[in-house]
Amino acid sequence: MTEEKQTAAKKEAPIIEFKGVSKVYTSGTHALNDVNIKINDGEFVFVVGASGAGKSTFMKLIMREEKPNTGSIIVNGFNLPKMKHKQVPFFRRTMGIVFQDFRLIPNMTVYENVAFAMHVTGADDKQIRIQVTKALSLVGLHEKARSMPNQLSGGEQQRVGLARALVNNPRLIIADEPTGNVDPTMSYEIVSLLTEINKRGTTVLMVTHDHDLVRDFGHRVIMLEKGRIVADNAGGKIHENQ
Amino acid sequence: MKISSMKYLTKEGFKSIWTNRLMSLSSIGVLVACMVLIGIALLLSFNVNKMVGDLENQNVILVFFDDYNAALYGEGRLVPPGAEVDENGICDQMYTVHNTEEAKAVCEELKKIDNINTVEYISKETALEMIKDILPEKDVDYFAVLEEAGENPMSDGAKITMVDLEKFDATVSAITSTKGVDSIQSQNGLAEKITGIKNGIFIAGIAIISILLIISLVIVSNTIRVTMYNRKLEISIMKAVGATDSFVRIPFVVEGVSIGIISALLSLGVLYCCYRVAVEAILSAIGNYTLIPFSSQIWLLLGVFVAIGVVAGSLGSIIMIGKYLKREGSEFAAI
Repeated sequence: MTEEKQTAAKKEAPIIEFKGVSKVYTSGTHALNDVNIKINDGEFVFVVGASGAGKSTFMKLIMREEKPNTGSIIVNGFNLPKMKHKQVPFFRRTMGIVFQDFRLIPNMTVYENVAFAMHVTGADDKQIRIQVTKALSLVGLHEKARSMPNQLSGGEQQRVGLARALVNNPRLIIADEPTGNVDPTMSYEIVSLLTEINKRGTTVLMVTHDHDLVRDFGHRVIMLEKGRIVADNAGGKIHENQ
Repeated sequence: MKISSMKYLTKEGFKSIWTNRLMSLSSIGVLVACMVLIGIALLLSFNVNKMVGDLENQNVILVFFDDYNAALYGEGRLVPPGAEVDENGICDQMYTVHNTEEAKAVCEELKKIDNINTVEYISKETALEMIKDILPEKDVDYFAVLEEAGENPMSDGAKITMVDLEKFDATVSAITSTKGVDSIQSQNGLAEKITGIKNGIFIAGIAIISILLIISLVIVSNTIRVTMYNRKLEISIMKAVGATDSFVRIPFVVEGVSIGIISALLSLGVLYCCYRVAVEAILSAIGNYTLIPFSSQIWLLLGVFVAIGVVAGSLGSIIMIGKYLKREGSEFAAI
């Protein structure tokens, strides 16, 4: 097989696959109804939808924070509903998570915050030094390695969060409204960074409310409404399928 | 787990003690108080046990042998038919211990009895001296008269001490059934009292130590719980980046155990000072009595304190973090 074909095959292999997934919480809320979706390796996908549309549940299921009532979910080759509790940490190491509220540890420096994600995997100090420096350079914060989170702007804090998500070289990045707490200029910078990371081969799944961003970057868009996928369009088009 | 991870987690545990220093200090304070109380209970019981032991040693059983004098002054001994008797009407078949060698042989037999601590042979001459020492003056004159007449009413015998006064009755019956023993003199009531005191101290000691141990465990658990809620964010990030439960748990265990060990060392110092003050006060009050020196118990106390600290620290943190991880630890996404 030629290199081009191999790349094409890799691009077409689903990194996330939902088959007939439904989730009903014990409170009786039907969060997701018969969701079927495939996200291929190397894609950049925006997930949009109003509050209560099921975005949270969709992401929680991908991160194996919740289990579905019915259906199967395969992420990064792991069969999530059948996965044992002990395997969950090892599954999570295959992805990087970026939070809306940055989630940086206030009493740790920028460097320590990023290194933290590597300590969890049992990496040695030398490896950590190399990888953290690389990740901070990628997000343009290597000069602020010794700063504390409260000395950084919102955008800079989110870039630290991004560096932390990247430091273990994950195949998949899950970004939960990463631009929700930053100004519009910084929002574009962050999505540009994510696009850059995506171009290097990492799959990116990003939840957002910012339709301008979705339109401007022109990636695939999945729209959720009342627990169902109502649109799945390429090129940043936001509208329902019907 | 890799050594690099262990090093990192241990460092994190120590860092957390400093970060939550007020909480750590208050836990150490209360733990020290508990441990000092446990130490006081232990030292008190050691000293009371020593006093009781001294009393036990003084609780001597006097055994009188079945010798010529026992036959002479005893009653109801019959002359076997056909036996030759001396001027006092005593024949050698009326008693079993005929000479010093036989008396010492009886002592050897007595030593073989279970629960016997010491057996000291007392000749009839020594017995006479002993009795003169403890009797009032007028009675001493009576013995002087006897001595002048060359007579000694005392029998050969032995002074016996026991190992365990709880087996007093069984030991006494074994002594009396030994061949060559005529009668015994003992303080049964004192033995019972001593045994009662010893048992009381043991039960009270166990109760006090158990209560304080539970208190220690609760204190450490509480500290860990507060620390854990303070570090909720950190734990949620740990879980998000793929930390195993043991990775999350270890810094808390290090923190708990370290607080336990620091408290143990401090408690030993505090207890030493308290004991010195107490010993001086007690000695000035009761005079010339030797209390157990602190140095002889230092390793035992250190061992007990460290064990309490380590058990309370590790158990407290394992229980609390286990509960936390089960209930809330997986909720890391605020989507």
